[in-house]
Amino acid sequence: MHNYEEFLSLMDNKIIRKTLKHKRLYFEVDNKDILEVAEHLFKKMGCRLSTATAQESYRGLDVAYHFSLDKTGDYYCPRVIMTDKQNPRMNSITPIIKGAEWIEREMAEMFGIVFEGHPNLEPLLTGNHPENLTQPLRHRRKNG
Amino acid sequence: MDKNVIPVGPFHPLLEEAEYFTLQVDGETVVDIDLEIGWMHRGHEFISETKTFTQSIYLVERICGICSTSHPIACVHAIEDIDNLEIPLRAKYIRTLVGELERIHSHLLWIGLAGHFIGYDTVWMWAWKYREPILQMFEIISGNRNHYGMMRVGGVAKDVDPAKVKSLLDILDEVQKKLEMLAKAAKDDPVLKSRLKGVGVLSKQAAIDYCAVGPTSRASGVPADVRKDEPTDAYGLVDFDVIVTQNGDVYDKLVLRILETFESIKICKQCLEKIATINGPILNNVKEISPGEGIGRYEAPRGEVFHYIHSDGTNRPIRHKVRAPSYVNIPTFKASCKGIPVADALITLAAVDPCYCCTERSMKIVDKNLDPFKVDLMKLSREKTDEMRREMKC
Repeated sequence: MHNYEEFLSLMDNKIIRKTLKHKRLYFEVDNKDILEVAEHLFKKMGCRLSTATAQESYRGLDVAYHFSLDKTGDYYCPRVIMTDKQNPRMNSITPIIKGAEWIEREMAEMFGIVFEGHPNLEPLLTGNHPENLTQPLRHRRKNG
Repeated sequence: MDKNVIPVGPFHPLLEEAEYFTLQVDGETVVDIDLEIGWMHRGHEFISETKTFTQSIYLVERICGICSTSHPIACVHAIEDIDNLEIPLRAKYIRTLVGELERIHSHLLWIGLAGHFIGYDTVWMWAWKYREPILQMFEIISGNRNHYGMMRVGGVAKDVDPAKVKSLLDILDEVQKKLEMLAKAAKDDPVLKSRLKGVGVLSKQAAIDYCAVGPTSRASGVPADVRKDEPTDAYGLVDFDVIVTQNGDVYDKLVLRILETFESIKICKQCLEKIATINGPILNNVKEISPGEGIGRYEAPRGEVFHYIHSDGTNRPIRHKVRAPSYVNIPTFKASCKGIPVADALITLAAVDPCYCCTERSMKIVDKNLDPFKVDLMKLSREKTDEMRREMKC
C-alpha cells in the first residue's frame, strides 16, 4: 500500500477535502485536528517539516504546513482555514515540532495569526525595524 | 548567581552579515544562547508577487550571492510542478551541471572561511585559490562569475557549447587534483583535528527535532538529500553517493563538505560528457501557467531550498513562499552551542554555513512614503545600542 493510501485510511475522518497531485497531497483539516495530524506525520511517519505557508484567500486566512517524507520524496500538506479574518487563531504545532517555532512566529507577525500554545510568539523579523509594522503581508488583495 | 552575558553582533568583525547572538555563560561555558535575527529588510516574497513568473526567477537569484542558482532552480521547479511540466534532456544536464558547480564553489568558500575563523589562514587562502577555476568555469558557461541567469521555466536560458566541454573537463581534473591534496592535508592536519573534533556537536535526534537540512543534518547521521529523495533534473540519471557522517561536530561538517565536492565533480563530469554527445532543445515553450499550487525544492550547498508558488492562472504568482536552508539550520544553535567553551562558539555558529540574507527574505516596508535614505540610521543605531546597553546593564 502506498504511504498516501495508508495515511488517508488512518486519517480519513479528519480530512475535510483533499487534492492528490504527483507526489503532493494537499488536504484540509479542522483546527482541532491539526495537532494529531502533525504528530502522526512527524513522529509516526518520520516526516520532516520543510516549512509552512500562510496566505489570504476568499475563504479566509489559510495556513499550509509542508511535511516532506524524505524516504519517498512525497509531500503532505495539511491546511487549516481560519474564516475569522479579524481574529485569526489556530493551534500551534511547535510543542510537537521544535522546527516549527520560527515559521509560526513569522506567520504571526506577517499575517496577525495567533498560534495558541506557541511558547514564544515574539516578532522574528520585524522586531528591529524602525517603523511599527503590523501584519505587513495582509490586506493586499481585494478579497483580503 | 548573576547571569553573565556575551553579546555577539549585530555587527561583528568575524561574521560577514548582521546577526545577533546572546551567549549566556557560566565561567567559560555557554549555558544558553538567544538568537535574534531581523537586521536586514528585503521583501522578496512581496516583490515576487508583483512580478511575472520569469521576472521572479531573476528576483530570487538575488536572494543569495552564494547559492544564486539554487533559488532559481527551486523556483522553476515550483512553477513547473503546478502543471507537471517536463524539460528537455539536454536542459536537465545543464541545470545539474550548474547546480553542482555551485556546490563546489560554495563548499570551498566555507572551508576557507572555517580556516579563517579558527585563525588558520593557510586553509583560507588555499581553498579560495582552488575555488577560482570554478568561477572561471561559470564565466565560460554563462558569461558571469556569479548570478548566472541560466534558469527558465521549461528548461535553461543558455546552452553549453560542446566545443568547450574538453576545456571544462580539464579544469575539473585540475581542481580535483588540488582538492585531493587539500583533503589529505585537512584530514591529517593535527591543528584542524584538535581544534574541530568534538566541537559543537549536534546530535542526530536534535537534527531531526529542529528539522535541520543539508550538511548540518547529514553530518549528524541523517541521510536526507533532495537529490536522492526526489531526483529532479538529471539527478536520477547520474551516479553519485550521498555523504553521511555520524559525529555531528564541526570536524565532521568539514570532512563531509570536502567529500561532497568530490561527488559534485563526479556529477559534473558525467553531465559534461552527456552535454558533448546529446543534441536537442534546451527550452520548451511554456505559454501559460494554470491555476494551482506548486512545490519546488533543490538541494542547495547548505541544504534544501524550498519554494511554494500559488498561481491564479495569470502571469504572476499570488503567493510565493521561500524557505532557505539557513532558516531551519540556524535554530540548531540552541542544541549545538550549549555546554561548549566560549572560544568554540563562533566556529560552531559558522559550521552550519549560515546565510542571513537568505533567512530574512520576507520583510517589506509598508509605508510607501518612508524613504530609507532620509531616515537617520545613525541616530536609530545609537538609540538601539543605548537601549541594549541599558538592558544588559553594561
